[in-house]
Amino acid sequence: MRYAEPETVEEGLALLSTHDDARCLAGGASLVSRMNAGQVAPAMLVSLHRIDELATTTESAEGLWLGAMSIHRAVATEARLRGAMEVVRSAASQLAHPAIRNMATLGGSLCLADPKTELPAALVAASARVEVAGPAGRRSLPVEQLLVGAFQTSLGKGELLTRVFLPRGLGGAVGHHLRFSRVSADYPTVSVSLVLAMDGETCSHARVVLGSCGPVPLHVDAADAVLVGSRLEARDVAEAGRLLVQASAPLDDVRGSAEYRRMLIPRLLGRALSQARELAHV
Amino acid sequence: MSDKVSLSLTINGAQHALTVAPERTLLDVLREELRMTGTRRGCDAGDCGACTVLVDGLPMLSCLSLPARLGGRDIRTIEGVESGGELHPVQRALVQHGAVQCGFCMSGIVLAAKALLARNPSPTLDEVRHALGSNVCRCSGYARVVEAIASVGGRP
Repeated sequence: MRYAEPETVEEGLALLSTHDDARCLAGGASLVSRMNAGQVAPAMLVSLHRIDELATTTESAEGLWLGAMSIHRAVATEARLRGAMEVVRSAASQLAHPAIRNMATLGGSLCLADPKTELPAALVAASARVEVAGPAGRRSLPVEQLLVGAFQTSLGKGELLTRVFLPRGLGGAVGHHLRFSRVSADYPTVSVSLVLAMDGETCSHARVVLGSCGPVPLHVDAADAVLVGSRLEARDVAEAGRLLVQASAPLDDVRGSAEYRRMLIPRLLGRALSQARELAHV
Repeated sequence: MSDKVSLSLTINGAQHALTVAPERTLLDVLREELRMTGTRRGCDAGDCGACTVLVDGLPMLSCLSLPARLGGRDIRTIEGVESGGELHPVQRALVQHGAVQCGFCMSGIVLAAKALLARNPSPTLDEVRHALGSNVCRCSGYARVVEAIASVGGRP
Protein backbone atom coordinates (compact mmCIF):
# COMPACT_ATOMS: atom_id res chain seq x y z
CA MET A 1 0.00 0.00 0.00
CA ARG A 2 1.20 3.49 -0.86
CA TYR A 3 0.80 6.20 1.75
CA ALA A 4 0.93 9.98 1.52
CA GLU A 5 0.37 12.97 3.78
CA PRO A 6 -0.43 15.96 1.57
CA GLU A 7 -0.32 19.42 3.12
CA THR A 8 -2.80 21.17 0.85
CA VAL A 9 -6.12 20.23 -0.71
CA GLU A 10 -4.59 20.62 -4.17
CA GLU A 11 -1.78 18.17 -3.34
CA GLY A 12 -4.38 15.78 -1.99
CA LEU A 13 -6.43 16.00 -5.21
CA ALA A 14 -3.31 15.39 -7.30
CA LEU A 15 -2.60 12.23 -5.30
CA LEU A 16 -6.20 11.02 -5.62
CA SER A 17 -6.00 11.50 -9.39
CA THR A 18 -2.81 9.46 -9.78
CA HIS A 19 -4.20 6.25 -8.29
CA ASP A 20 -7.37 4.49 -9.37
CA ASP A 21 -7.83 2.93 -5.98
CA ALA A 22 -6.84 5.79 -3.68
CA ARG A 23 -8.81 6.41 -0.49
CA CYS A 24 -8.86 9.42 1.80
CA LEU A 25 -8.11 8.68 5.43
CA ALA A 26 -9.86 11.08 7.82
CA GLY A 27 -10.10 9.95 11.48
CA GLY A 28 -9.71 6.27 10.65
CA ALA A 29 -12.55 5.09 12.86
CA SER A 30 -14.34 3.33 10.01
CA LEU A 31 -11.74 2.95 7.26
CA VAL A 32 -9.05 1.38 9.46
CA SER A 33 -11.65 -0.93 10.99
CA ARG A 34 -12.61 -2.11 7.49
CA MET A 35 -8.95 -2.48 6.53
CA ASN A 36 -8.34 -4.59 9.66
CA ALA A 37 -11.24 -6.83 8.68
CA GLY A 38 -9.86 -7.26 5.16
CA GLN A 39 -12.94 -5.64 3.64
CA VAL A 40 -10.95 -2.93 1.86
CA ALA A 41 -7.32 -2.73 0.82
CA PRO A 42 -6.76 0.62 -0.89
CA ALA A 43 -3.73 0.78 -3.17
CA MET A 44 -3.11 4.30 -1.93
CA LEU A 45 -4.02 5.90 1.38
CA VAL A 46 -4.13 9.70 1.40
CA SER A 47 -4.08 10.88 5.01
CA LEU A 48 -5.73 14.28 5.35
CA HIS A 49 -4.44 15.15 8.83
CA ARG A 50 -1.72 17.56 7.69
CA ILE A 51 -4.02 19.76 5.61
CA ASP A 52 -4.57 22.78 7.85
CA GLU A 53 -7.47 24.06 5.77
CA LEU A 54 -9.50 20.95 6.59
CA ALA A 55 -9.13 21.52 10.33
CA THR A 56 -10.12 25.18 10.25
CA THR A 57 -13.34 26.70 11.59
CA THR A 58 -14.35 30.08 10.17
CA GLU A 59 -17.23 32.29 11.18
CA SER A 60 -19.14 34.62 8.90
CA ALA A 61 -22.22 36.77 9.30
CA GLU A 62 -24.29 33.96 7.76
CA GLY A 63 -22.98 31.10 9.84
CA LEU A 64 -20.08 28.82 10.59
CA TRP A 65 -17.81 26.80 8.29
CA LEU A 66 -16.47 23.66 9.95
CA GLY A 67 -13.46 21.92 8.40
CA ALA A 68 -14.08 18.34 7.30
CA MET A 69 -11.33 17.08 9.62
CA SER A 70 -12.97 18.56 12.74
CA ILE A 71 -13.22 15.72 15.24
CA HIS A 72 -16.57 15.17 16.95
CA ARG A 73 -15.09 16.31 20.26
CA ALA A 74 -14.19 19.68 18.71
CA VAL A 75 -17.67 20.07 17.21
CA ALA A 76 -19.23 19.10 20.56
CA THR A 77 -17.27 21.82 22.37
CA GLU A 78 -17.63 24.56 19.71
CA ALA A 79 -19.31 27.34 21.70
CA ARG A 80 -20.26 29.26 18.53
CA LEU A 81 -22.72 26.52 17.56
CA ARG A 82 -25.74 28.19 19.12
CA GLY A 83 -29.37 28.68 18.11
CA ALA A 84 -30.37 26.50 15.15
CA MET A 85 -26.76 25.30 14.75
CA GLU A 86 -26.93 23.78 18.24
CA VAL A 87 -28.54 20.68 16.71
CA VAL A 88 -25.16 19.70 15.26
CA ARG A 89 -23.25 20.43 18.46
CA SER A 90 -25.75 18.40 20.43
CA ALA A 91 -25.54 15.38 18.08
CA ALA A 92 -21.73 15.46 18.09
CA SER A 93 -21.67 15.51 21.89
CA GLN A 94 -23.94 12.46 22.22
CA LEU A 95 -22.87 10.12 19.45
CA ALA A 96 -20.81 6.99 20.17
CA HIS A 97 -18.38 7.38 23.10
CA PRO A 98 -15.36 9.48 24.09
CA ALA A 99 -12.69 7.39 22.33
CA ILE A 100 -14.54 7.59 19.01
CA ARG A 101 -15.39 11.28 19.50
CA ASN A 102 -11.65 11.90 19.98
CA MET A 103 -10.84 10.30 16.61
CA ALA A 104 -13.74 10.35 14.19
CA THR A 105 -14.36 13.42 12.02
CA LEU A 106 -17.27 15.39 10.61
CA GLY A 107 -16.14 14.77 7.02
CA GLY A 108 -15.45 11.11 7.66
CA SER A 109 -18.90 10.57 9.13
CA LEU A 110 -20.57 12.33 6.21
CA CYS A 111 -18.60 10.50 3.54
CA LEU A 112 -19.23 7.14 5.21
CA ALA A 113 -22.97 7.92 4.96
CA ASP A 114 -23.87 5.22 7.47
CA PRO A 115 -27.65 5.30 8.01
CA LYS A 116 -27.15 4.09 11.61
CA THR A 117 -25.27 7.16 12.71
CA GLU A 118 -26.79 10.49 13.59
CA LEU A 119 -24.53 13.34 12.57
CA PRO A 120 -25.72 13.31 8.93
CA ALA A 121 -29.33 13.68 10.13
CA ALA A 122 -28.38 16.59 12.39
CA LEU A 123 -26.64 18.29 9.46
CA VAL A 124 -29.75 17.93 7.31
CA ALA A 125 -31.80 19.44 10.14
CA ALA A 126 -29.36 22.36 10.27
CA SER A 127 -29.78 22.92 6.48
CA ALA A 128 -26.04 22.42 6.12
CA ARG A 129 -24.18 22.72 2.85
CA VAL A 130 -20.96 20.95 2.00
CA GLU A 131 -18.04 22.10 -0.10
CA VAL A 132 -16.44 19.52 -2.34
CA ALA A 133 -13.08 19.96 -4.08
CA GLY A 134 -12.26 18.00 -7.20
CA PRO A 135 -10.36 18.06 -10.46
CA ALA A 136 -12.82 20.63 -11.86
CA GLY A 137 -12.55 23.00 -8.89
CA ARG A 138 -14.83 23.46 -5.92
CA ARG A 139 -18.59 23.17 -5.68
CA SER A 140 -21.05 23.58 -2.86
CA LEU A 141 -24.23 21.58 -2.44
CA PRO A 142 -26.92 20.94 0.18
CA VAL A 143 -25.94 18.03 2.41
CA GLU A 144 -29.03 16.08 1.23
CA GLN A 145 -27.54 16.02 -2.26
CA LEU A 146 -24.32 14.50 -0.91
CA LEU A 147 -26.13 11.67 0.89
CA VAL A 148 -27.68 9.61 -1.89
CA GLY A 149 -28.01 6.18 -0.28
CA ALA A 150 -26.88 3.91 2.53
CA PHE A 151 -23.08 4.18 2.52
CA GLN A 152 -23.32 6.10 -0.76
CA THR A 153 -22.47 9.71 -1.53
CA SER A 154 -22.56 11.76 -4.70
CA LEU A 155 -18.80 12.42 -4.47
CA GLY A 156 -17.21 11.83 -7.85
CA LYS A 157 -13.92 10.12 -8.52
CA GLY A 158 -11.01 12.15 -7.24
CA GLU A 159 -13.19 14.48 -5.16
CA LEU A 160 -12.89 15.19 -1.47
CA LEU A 161 -15.08 16.97 1.03
CA THR A 162 -13.40 20.09 2.38
CA ARG A 163 -15.82 21.78 4.77
CA VAL A 164 -19.39 22.07 5.97
CA PHE A 165 -21.39 25.29 6.22
CA LEU A 166 -23.98 25.69 8.95
CA PRO A 167 -26.30 28.66 8.43
CA ARG A 168 -27.20 30.62 11.56
CA GLY A 169 -30.88 30.10 10.85
CA LEU A 170 -33.78 32.19 12.06
CA GLY A 171 -33.26 34.40 15.08
CA GLY A 172 -34.81 32.71 18.11
CA ALA A 173 -34.69 29.25 16.53
CA VAL A 174 -33.32 26.40 18.62
CA GLY A 175 -31.64 23.22 17.51
CA HIS A 176 -32.13 20.02 19.45
CA HIS A 177 -31.02 16.42 19.06
CA LEU A 178 -32.57 13.46 20.85
CA ARG A 179 -31.39 9.89 20.48
CA PHE A 180 -32.90 6.70 21.78
CA SER A 181 -30.39 3.90 22.18
CA ARG A 182 -30.11 0.73 24.22
CA VAL A 183 -27.04 2.11 25.99
CA SER A 184 -25.64 5.57 25.50
CA ALA A 185 -22.50 4.52 23.63
CA ASP A 186 -24.39 2.44 21.05
CA TYR A 187 -25.80 3.58 17.73
CA PRO A 188 -29.23 5.13 18.18
CA THR A 189 -32.26 2.96 17.49
CA VAL A 190 -33.92 6.15 16.22
CA SER A 191 -32.64 9.71 16.44
CA VAL A 192 -34.56 12.97 16.04
CA SER A 193 -32.76 16.14 14.97
CA LEU A 194 -34.80 19.30 14.75
CA VAL A 195 -34.75 23.05 14.45
CA LEU A 196 -37.73 24.83 15.98
CA ALA A 197 -38.86 28.43 16.36
CA MET A 198 -41.85 29.54 18.41
CA ASP A 199 -43.94 32.69 18.23
CA GLY A 200 -45.51 32.66 21.67
CA GLU A 201 -47.29 29.31 21.85
CA THR A 202 -47.40 28.88 18.07
CA CYS A 203 -44.72 27.08 16.10
CA SER A 204 -43.35 29.46 13.49
CA HIS A 205 -40.67 27.18 12.01
CA ALA A 206 -39.93 23.47 12.17
CA ARG A 207 -37.48 21.22 10.39
CA VAL A 208 -37.51 17.64 11.66
CA VAL A 209 -35.08 14.98 10.45
CA LEU A 210 -34.89 11.35 11.59
CA GLY A 211 -31.88 9.04 11.68
CA SER A 212 -31.94 5.21 11.34
CA CYS A 213 -35.29 5.45 9.57
CA GLY A 214 -34.15 4.91 6.00
CA PRO A 215 -31.08 4.75 3.80
CA VAL A 216 -30.54 8.50 4.20
CA PRO A 217 -31.71 11.00 6.83
CA LEU A 218 -35.50 11.23 6.64
CA HIS A 219 -36.95 14.69 6.09
CA VAL A 220 -40.60 15.14 5.12
CA ASP A 221 -41.71 18.65 4.14
CA ALA A 222 -45.36 17.78 4.82
CA ALA A 223 -44.55 16.81 8.42
CA ASP A 224 -42.85 20.16 9.01
CA ALA A 225 -45.86 21.88 7.43
CA VAL A 226 -48.23 20.21 9.92
CA LEU A 227 -46.20 21.58 12.82
CA VAL A 228 -45.74 25.13 11.50
CA GLY A 229 -48.67 27.31 12.54
CA SER A 230 -49.84 24.76 15.10
CA ARG A 231 -49.57 24.96 18.88
CA LEU A 232 -47.72 21.60 18.86
CA GLU A 233 -50.64 19.90 20.54
CA ALA A 234 -50.84 16.13 20.78
CA ARG A 235 -52.88 15.79 17.58
CA ASP A 236 -50.43 17.96 15.61
CA VAL A 237 -47.47 15.93 16.79
CA ALA A 238 -49.33 12.68 16.08
CA GLU A 239 -50.15 13.80 12.54
CA ALA A 240 -46.53 14.87 11.84
CA GLY A 241 -45.40 11.56 13.32
CA ARG A 242 -47.84 9.66 11.11
CA LEU A 243 -46.45 11.34 7.98
CA LEU A 244 -42.89 10.55 9.04
CA VAL A 245 -43.74 6.91 9.75
CA GLN A 246 -45.47 6.65 6.37
CA ALA A 247 -42.37 7.95 4.57
CA SER A 248 -39.91 5.90 6.62
CA ALA A 249 -38.15 2.69 5.70
CA PRO A 250 -36.61 1.98 9.11
CA LEU A 251 -33.63 -0.24 9.63
CA ASP A 252 -34.56 -3.71 10.83
CA ASP A 253 -31.72 -5.06 12.92
CA VAL A 254 -30.50 -6.15 16.32
CA ARG A 255 -31.15 -2.66 17.75
CA GLY A 256 -34.82 -2.83 16.90
CA SER A 257 -37.19 -4.25 14.34
CA ALA A 258 -38.57 -1.92 11.69
CA GLU A 259 -41.97 -2.22 13.38
CA TYR A 260 -40.51 -1.21 16.74
CA ARG A 261 -38.82 1.77 15.14
CA ARG A 262 -42.09 2.84 13.52
CA MET A 263 -43.70 2.81 16.96
CA LEU A 264 -40.80 4.80 18.36
CA ILE A 265 -40.91 7.61 15.77
CA PRO A 266 -44.02 9.52 16.94
CA ARG A 267 -43.18 9.08 20.62
CA LEU A 268 -39.63 10.28 20.23
CA LEU A 269 -40.81 13.16 18.05
CA GLY A 270 -43.20 14.32 20.78
CA ARG A 271 -40.48 14.17 23.40
CA ALA A 272 -37.96 16.00 21.19
CA LEU A 273 -40.46 18.73 20.35
CA SER A 274 -41.42 19.36 23.96
CA GLN A 275 -37.76 19.52 24.99
CA ALA A 276 -36.97 21.92 22.12
CA ARG A 277 -39.97 24.02 23.03
CA GLU A 278 -38.63 24.42 26.57
CA LEU A 279 -35.32 25.55 25.12
CA ALA A 280 -37.07 28.02 22.80
CA HIS A 281 -38.83 29.64 25.75
CA VAL A 282 -35.74 30.08 27.92
CA MET B 1 5.04 -1.47 -4.57
CA SER B 2 4.51 -0.77 -0.94
CA ASP B 3 5.59 2.19 1.11
CA LYS B 4 7.35 1.96 4.44
CA VAL B 5 7.00 4.84 6.82
CA SER B 6 9.82 5.88 9.13
CA LEU B 7 8.65 7.57 12.27
CA SER B 8 9.45 8.36 15.85
CA LEU B 9 6.82 7.60 18.47
CA THR B 10 6.84 8.95 22.02
CA ILE B 11 5.46 6.16 24.19
CA ASN B 12 5.35 6.60 27.96
CA GLY B 13 7.90 9.36 27.58
CA ALA B 14 10.45 7.29 25.64
CA GLN B 15 11.28 7.76 21.95
CA HIS B 16 11.02 4.79 19.61
CA ALA B 17 12.33 4.99 16.02
CA LEU B 18 10.48 2.60 13.75
CA THR B 19 9.96 1.78 10.10
CA VAL B 20 6.54 0.26 9.47
CA ALA B 21 4.12 -0.53 6.68
CA PRO B 22 1.51 2.27 6.62
CA GLU B 23 -1.42 -0.04 7.27
CA ARG B 24 0.09 -1.34 10.52
CA THR B 25 -1.94 0.03 13.40
CA LEU B 26 -0.59 1.46 16.63
CA LEU B 27 -1.87 -1.70 18.32
CA ASP B 28 0.16 -3.89 15.92
CA VAL B 29 3.25 -1.84 16.58
CA LEU B 30 2.83 -1.80 20.36
CA ARG B 31 2.25 -5.52 20.65
CA GLU B 32 4.36 -6.96 17.85
CA GLU B 33 7.22 -4.51 17.30
CA LEU B 34 7.69 -3.13 20.81
CA ARG B 35 6.37 -6.16 22.74
CA MET B 36 4.26 -3.93 24.94
CA THR B 37 1.50 -6.47 25.28
CA GLY B 38 -0.40 -4.77 28.09
CA THR B 39 -2.52 -3.11 25.39
CA ARG B 40 -5.00 -5.82 24.41
CA ARG B 41 -6.33 -6.80 21.03
CA GLY B 42 -10.04 -7.47 21.37
CA CYS B 43 -12.16 -6.84 18.30
CA ASP B 44 -9.79 -4.87 16.01
CA ALA B 45 -12.87 -2.91 14.96
CA GLY B 46 -13.27 -0.18 17.58
CA ASP B 47 -16.12 -1.90 19.38
CA CYS B 48 -14.55 -3.19 22.61
CA GLY B 49 -12.09 -0.61 23.96
CA ALA B 50 -9.54 -3.22 25.10
CA CYS B 51 -6.86 -1.48 23.02
CA THR B 52 -7.48 2.01 24.48
CA VAL B 53 -4.40 4.20 24.88
CA LEU B 54 -4.09 7.89 25.72
CA VAL B 55 -2.91 10.26 23.01
CA ASP B 56 -2.13 13.71 24.40
CA GLY B 57 -4.19 12.70 27.42
CA LEU B 58 -7.32 11.62 25.53
CA PRO B 59 -8.52 8.04 25.14
CA MET B 60 -8.18 6.70 21.61
CA LEU B 61 -8.44 3.24 20.10
CA SER B 62 -5.01 1.97 19.08
CA CYS B 63 -6.54 -0.64 16.75
CA LEU B 64 -7.92 2.18 14.59
CA SER B 65 -4.91 4.51 14.80
CA LEU B 66 -2.12 4.53 12.26
CA PRO B 67 1.22 5.29 13.93
CA ALA B 68 2.35 7.17 10.82
CA ARG B 69 0.03 9.96 12.01
CA LEU B 70 1.14 9.98 15.64
CA GLY B 71 4.69 11.31 15.42
CA GLY B 72 5.22 13.97 18.08
CA ARG B 73 2.11 13.02 20.04
CA ASP B 74 2.33 11.86 23.66
CA ILE B 75 1.19 8.22 23.71
CA ARG B 76 0.53 6.56 27.08
CA THR B 77 -0.14 2.84 27.50
CA ILE B 78 -0.96 0.74 30.55
CA GLU B 79 2.77 0.12 31.01
CA GLY B 80 3.21 3.82 31.73
CA VAL B 81 0.48 4.17 34.32
CA GLU B 82 2.36 2.95 37.41
CA SER B 83 4.82 5.37 38.88
CA GLY B 84 7.82 4.31 40.98
CA GLY B 85 6.45 0.78 41.31
CA GLU B 86 3.22 2.11 42.80
CA LEU B 87 -0.13 1.32 41.22
CA HIS B 88 -2.18 4.24 39.97
CA PRO B 89 -5.04 5.16 42.37
CA VAL B 90 -7.51 3.81 39.78
CA GLN B 91 -5.72 0.48 39.74
CA ARG B 92 -5.66 0.33 43.57
CA ALA B 93 -9.36 1.11 43.74
CA LEU B 94 -10.21 -1.58 41.19
CA VAL B 95 -8.29 -4.14 43.25
CA GLN B 96 -9.84 -3.00 46.53
CA HIS B 97 -13.37 -3.17 45.12
CA GLY B 98 -12.81 -6.65 43.68
CA ALA B 99 -13.75 -5.23 40.30
CA VAL B 100 -11.42 -7.37 38.21
CA GLN B 101 -12.05 -10.91 37.08
CA CYS B 102 -10.12 -12.04 33.99
CA GLY B 103 -8.61 -8.59 33.56
CA PHE B 104 -8.53 -8.55 29.76
CA CYS B 105 -10.52 -5.30 29.52
CA MET B 106 -8.71 -3.60 32.38
CA SER B 107 -5.86 -1.87 30.51
CA GLY B 108 -8.41 0.03 28.49
CA ILE B 109 -10.66 0.74 31.46
CA VAL B 110 -7.78 2.03 33.59
CA LEU B 111 -6.69 4.43 30.83
CA ALA B 112 -10.22 5.65 30.11
CA ALA B 113 -10.70 6.24 33.86
CA LYS B 114 -7.34 8.00 34.18
CA ALA B 115 -8.31 10.38 31.35
CA LEU B 116 -11.68 11.05 32.98
CA LEU B 117 -10.19 11.80 36.41
CA ALA B 118 -7.58 14.12 34.89
CA ARG B 119 -10.38 16.32 33.52
CA ASN B 120 -12.98 15.69 36.18
CA PRO B 121 -11.42 14.73 39.53
CA SER B 122 -14.72 13.88 41.20
CA PRO B 123 -17.00 12.28 38.62
CA THR B 124 -20.49 11.01 39.39
CA LEU B 125 -21.38 7.38 38.75
CA ASP B 126 -23.17 8.47 35.61
CA GLU B 127 -20.15 10.41 34.36
CA VAL B 128 -18.01 7.33 34.94
CA ARG B 129 -20.47 5.20 32.98
CA HIS B 130 -20.37 7.62 30.05
CA ALA B 131 -16.57 7.76 30.10
CA LEU B 132 -16.47 3.94 29.93
CA GLY B 133 -18.90 3.87 27.01
CA SER B 134 -16.14 2.50 24.80
CA ASN B 135 -15.12 -0.33 27.13
CA VAL B 136 -16.68 -3.76 27.12
CA CYS B 137 -16.21 -6.20 30.01
CA ARG B 138 -17.60 -9.69 29.52
CA CYS B 139 -17.08 -11.21 32.96
CA SER B 140 -17.69 -9.12 36.02
CA GLY B 141 -20.31 -6.68 34.85
CA TYR B 142 -19.73 -3.04 35.42
CA ALA B 143 -21.14 -2.15 38.85
CA ARG B 144 -17.97 -2.64 40.88
CA VAL B 145 -15.81 -1.16 38.12
CA VAL B 146 -17.88 2.02 38.07
CA GLU B 147 -18.03 2.22 41.87
CA ALA B 148 -14.28 1.71 42.16
CA ILE B 149 -13.50 4.51 39.71
CA ALA B 150 -15.98 6.91 41.30
CA SER B 151 -14.46 6.18 44.74
CA VAL B 152 -11.12 7.62 43.60
CA GLY B 153 -12.79 11.00 43.31
CA GLY B 154 -14.44 10.65 46.70
CA ARG B 155 -17.88 9.60 45.47
CA PRO B 156 -19.51 6.65 47.22
